[in-house]
Amino acid sequence: MISRPIGPRWSLAAGLAVLIAAVCLALTGSARVTAQNVTEAQRESGRTLYLKYCAQCHGEKGDGEGYATPHLRPRPRDFTQGKFKVRTTPSGALPTHQDLVDIIRRGMPYTSMPAWPNLSGQEASDLAHFITTFSADFSKGENAPQPVPLPSAPNATRESIELGKKLYVESGCVRCHGTLGRGDGPSAPTLVDDWGHPIRAANLSQNWTFRGGSSREDIFRTMSTGFNGTPMPSFLEALTPEQRWAITDFIVSLSGGKGPGYTNLVVARHVQDPIDLKRGAASFESAPVARFPIIGQIMEPGRAFHPPATSVTVQAIYDAESIALLVRWHDMSAQKTGKNGPSLPVPPEEEEESAPGAPQETGQSPFGEAELPPAADPFAEEEAAPAVQPSEFSDAVAIQIPSQVPAGARKPYFIFGDAQNPVDLWFFDLARPDPLQFTGRGSADIAPDDTGELTGVASYDQGEWSVIFKRPLRAGSGASFSPGQFLPVAFSVWDGLSRERGNRRGLTAWYSLYVEPEVVPSAVGPMVKTASLILAIELAVIGWVRRRYGSRAGEESGGRRRQQAATSA
Amino acid sequence: MNIPIVLAVAAAFGLLRLRRANLLIWAVAWWAGIYVLLRFGFTAPIPSSVVSLYMGIVSIAILAYVSSSQERREEASRPLVRFMTEKRYTALLGATVVALPALAAANVYVQMSVPIEPPLFPRTVHPASPTEVTVHEKRIDLDAGDSPFRHLESSNPEEFRRHVENGRQVYYRNCVFCHGDDLSGNGMFAHALDPIPTNFTDQGTIPNLRETFLFWRVSKGGPGLPEEGGPWDTAMPAWEKFLKEEEMWEAILFLYDFTGHRPRAREEVARE
Repeated sequence: MISRPIGPRWSLAAGLAVLIAAVCLALTGSARVTAQNVTEAQRESGRTLYLKYCAQCHGEKGDGEGYATPHLRPRPRDFTQGKFKVRTTPSGALPTHQDLVDIIRRGMPYTSMPAWPNLSGQEASDLAHFITTFSADFSKGENAPQPVPLPSAPNATRESIELGKKLYVESGCVRCHGTLGRGDGPSAPTLVDDWGHPIRAANLSQNWTFRGGSSREDIFRTMSTGFNGTPMPSFLEALTPEQRWAITDFIVSLSGGKGPGYTNLVVARHVQDPIDLKRGAASFESAPVARFPIIGQIMEPGRAFHPPATSVTVQAIYDAESIALLVRWHDMSAQKTGKNGPSLPVPPEEEEESAPGAPQETGQSPFGEAELPPAADPFAEEEAAPAVQPSEFSDAVAIQIPSQVPAGARKPYFIFGDAQNPVDLWFFDLARPDPLQFTGRGSADIAPDDTGELTGVASYDQGEWSVIFKRPLRAGSGASFSPGQFLPVAFSVWDGLSRERGNRRGLTAWYSLYVEPEVVPSAVGPMVKTASLILAIELAVIGWVRRRYGSRAGEESGGRRRQQAATSA
Repeated sequence: MNIPIVLAVAAAFGLLRLRRANLLIWAVAWWAGIYVLLRFGFTAPIPSSVVSLYMGIVSIAILAYVSSSQERREEASRPLVRFMTEKRYTALLGATVVALPALAAANVYVQMSVPIEPPLFPRTVHPASPTEVTVHEKRIDLDAGDSPFRHLESSNPEEFRRHVENGRQVYYRNCVFCHGDDLSGNGMFAHALDPIPTNFTDQGTIPNLRETFLFWRVSKGGPGLPEEGGPWDTAMPAWEKFLKEEEMWEAILFLYDFTGHRPRAREEVARE
């Protein structure tokens, strides 16, 4: 704790001080250490750490206006107002010291706030203290945070999940988070935080993205104490602990497994029946699901620093003539009007989104550059979905494959190809009925190359786009697909509501599409063969030995060795 | 050598000696002991193909020894013959007869159900740089040149700090998304990238490189890599599209300043 060499008397005094502090903590029931307990050295250490690691985003004055801020969304916390999202304390209250330490340690997943696991306990504590110096609220004794009671969890049961599902609707969760929890409730597009910045409702079907953690305890705490400064309220008063645990169990059930399960491979499975687009996603039941992470396109001008989609799931099938890919991703509101395209220009100033002091345009979408006036209370008793101004850009998706099957390691550049190695873009502007094929020779050189062979169908349901592309295995232009082959594949997703188009989009790096042979060799045949062969050898050896030496004990064992088969089998 | 493993094998041999083990047991023990030594006894791992080769030689040597005389042949085969002929071993013999084919079948199954892996293409992480690059129509000599700001470190520390601070701003506006807030290569997009973003805090990265090398990598990015560097996957942008020349030099100053590393000095080769 104290690294300087100190005399025994001082260490005794320090030890006593620590002991007293610990007793105080235990007595108040919170991990809050009052300002008096913080030594000058600790304050200085916190300041140094803050300036080195935090100030670039949270600002030297702690106001959330660091020079990195314009590219960040959600925006960095403004510490001057004492509003903290993840707390164990009641709605509107300050966080405890431990709450701050925890969030520094764990970070906020899928935002620009990283986890800081390598800070020592003392460093994290010093930082947490320093952060409280930005707001005068922390120095007022009457604001001393008191954690709310967070009773331990009963076991999740089918009944509790059912009850939770009912309460999820009755308590209004569904208005922002949507029926299936995909963050697509009718109020979702209108949400803004206390600073007037647009904010997204959590996608409850992807628990790995939860701010404040995804364990049952974390979800229960978030529901109990709410997120200060955001539309997420506290349900401490409105619901009993049992009811909150039931909703927690329901939310846990929405995500299925534990993590995203990102992979690097999508396997195209052979199907007997000809692929019929009218059957939609049902055709893909036999195909394994691959999930790929989506990141912002920040490599070419017209950058996107925070695409709303964080992943796509992909399935692929093929029949005698065609291959089809089903691409799905979550989007809180479908933009089915307007236009989009892989080469629509993005003016450079749009990169500097809502820069401090920048003139705000009006009449644009809430997740574009402009800010909406504060939205109505999402929990008010209004039934009509709030009108969201449609964007001039529609949602869109693209699959990218090399125009020629690469012979070796050489692939086209993963952002729309390069001059020597073009890519095929299967592009679907979701305001249009059909996809179009483009050839990309780099972001600046994209030309339509549509032979009419690419078909597709798109649907939007409960916050999820499902888009199917279908193309002949051997098309007039572009790479052909053959069984047993790996082909590079990449994906792009445009969110029209966030004014994504052209280079401003979410994308994946190259992954692999494997066309699984129609007949996957079964292991049963070789297994039976091997086992029978070994068995036959064994029986032959034993039979021979028994005939040679008789089946009694051999006190006069004969002179032939017979150890090889047994030791080397 | 991995001393505990070696001692364990030696102890096992000692025990066999004390118990006056049968020749067959000795043969098995030698085979297994040498395998364990080859596989685990060395701190630097031996390639599995080399281990197989050695074990082939060992197998032949043991067989030759065991069958080298009538007595040895008999001593080795006696327990096996008894196992296969005596009544009291019948149950055990039956179990063995079933177990061996089952194990072999299981092995076949495991080998055939290896998950499909996409082909892996190796790449050179730090390929050799060209001798010069042209950035914003200015030719920059990567061999003889140097950072235009490095000399300020001693001559004008105040000015130097100003450039580092500018570099810090460039970094957190552009680089942080992949290379991370603490420069350890774990930015918010890093989970979706392969190759992974460089960890600048790692001793094996920027301390081994000259600032001019970094300038090449920063200005030309993934697309500017030579063939062996795998430019098709690398997400490193060509920063000349976004940044001025001095901004790139400043960002490089910041990388060294933040991590406490020193750039590699220029080799003082005799130049004509």
